[in-house]
Amino acid sequence: MIELFHIWKQYQKPYWALSDVTLRIEDGGFYFITGPSGSGKSTLLRTIFREVLPTEGQILVNGVNILKIPGSRIYTLRRTMGIVFQDFRLMFHKSVFDNVAVPLQVVGVGRKEIRRRVFATLQKVNLHQKMWELPGRLSYGEQQRVAIARAVVNNPEIILADEPTGNLDPELAFEIVTLFKEINKQGATVIIGSHDRELIRHFGDNILFLQKGKIVGKEAHA
Amino acid sequence: MIEKLKFFLSVTGNNLWQFRTRNLFSVTIICLSFLTVGIFMSLANNLRATARELATNMSIAFYLEPGLTENAIDQIRHESSLPAFVESVKRVSAEEAMERFQASFPDLADVAAGLRGNPFPESFELRVNAKASASKEVVAFVEGMKKRPGVTDVMFNQDWVEKMQGFSRLAGAIGAFLGGILILTSFFIISNVVKLNVFARKNEIEILRFVGGTNLFIRLPFWLEGITLGLLGSLLSLVLLFVVIQVFPVYLGASLGALQELLRFRYPGLGQALILLGGGAATGFIGSATSVSKFLKV
Repeated sequence: MIELFHIWKQYQKPYWALSDVTLRIEDGGFYFITGPSGSGKSTLLRTIFREVLPTEGQILVNGVNILKIPGSRIYTLRRTMGIVFQDFRLMFHKSVFDNVAVPLQVVGVGRKEIRRRVFATLQKVNLHQKMWELPGRLSYGEQQRVAIARAVVNNPEIILADEPTGNLDPELAFEIVTLFKEINKQGATVIIGSHDRELIRHFGDNILFLQKGKIVGKEAHA
Repeated sequence: MIEKLKFFLSVTGNNLWQFRTRNLFSVTIICLSFLTVGIFMSLANNLRATARELATNMSIAFYLEPGLTENAIDQIRHESSLPAFVESVKRVSAEEAMERFQASFPDLADVAAGLRGNPFPESFELRVNAKASASKEVVAFVEGMKKRPGVTDVMFNQDWVEKMQGFSRLAGAIGAFLGGILILTSFFIISNVVKLNVFARKNEIEILRFVGGTNLFIRLPFWLEGITLGLLGSLLSLVLLFVVIQVFPVYLGASLGALQELLRFRYPGLGQALILLGGGAATGFIGSATSVSKFLKV
């Protein structure tokens, strides 16, 4: 469970990127955070994986106050999460396989096990046949699927995706969110920052509306 | 553990290959720096060895006044053999001195034979214990004997030993000074090369941070890169040093005359070679570690 208590974030005076955000994200939930550009969606997601430190407030992930974790141990938090970005953030000089294997390598998984798990994950995103390709030779949709495979390969409890469909056409965007939905069905909590109304209308179980850094609405559909 | 080591070595190898041009440049600089240190080190080795050789063969010669009685000569021999540092005393007759001269300078043998009398004086040659060679007691003894009636002159090669030791220290100091400056330069070059590599892999480093890479996991390949560059540079400098040692005397030929003996290089010993290699690795590690800690805040 992720709990945010009275989160404030200011990058530059007098603007507040987040103003008094308090929310609770249940385990296994599928959430959309939406709002216009500059509403604070990315900042909110980045505070959860502690890329950004809030100016005020507390964040608990599974009961642990993540703001109290020393910088040298942030990796313990990030190993429980999978993060997907709009710009994919892939290593373009390394193969698809190597890109997806990184989260397993950092935790010291053996070579055979890495091979098995990467292959299985790439099968899930239907990229196992392009395992040895360089990401630059893949389409945008495929590149995003590589990024998703990297985010889920070590079975994280939480998936955070910041505008994962921002660079994709509507059809591919639909396909990518379907993939997230499948991952969610397997037990992971998925939080997606997006301003794509069509997708949100179609997939949104839980929707949080942000405006000027404030939560201005919540919707929950069964 | 072995698997992890293999993994890090393969990452380091790939990274080194990816930026091979700039890495080659830093290896060359390190190599030249350590080659300079090595050349002065081997020069100092030779001077030190020459000084040691001179000290081991240190001898003192007392030239006797012509026409001394056997009693007076025996007295001088007795006095010469008294100090504990004197290992042996040998009497060299005028005839033997003439023979030695003719043997040492065959071109002048005829001149010596044509002389009416034997111009060489009789002498005593003393061999001195190597440990006491430069001691005050030896110097005091020599000074005393110089003033003694019946002794016309004294030959003592201690000055040469001291000069050799002085040259050896000088060569060592010049090597340390020049090498120090150059090693400092290589340190900054490695630091900057690693800094460039860090910048070039900024995206990759960020990804590693997001997927839960520890500081050590992210930094280790950069450290290994620095160590590898340093080791390669110093290893190459050792190879070049051996080439220089092989080629240098041939190249100079006999043009340096007696100086050639002093300017001859000696191969560095195993210990010195290991120091050079260790120095290279340390330079590489410190260069990359400072760069990584400064530009890789994780």
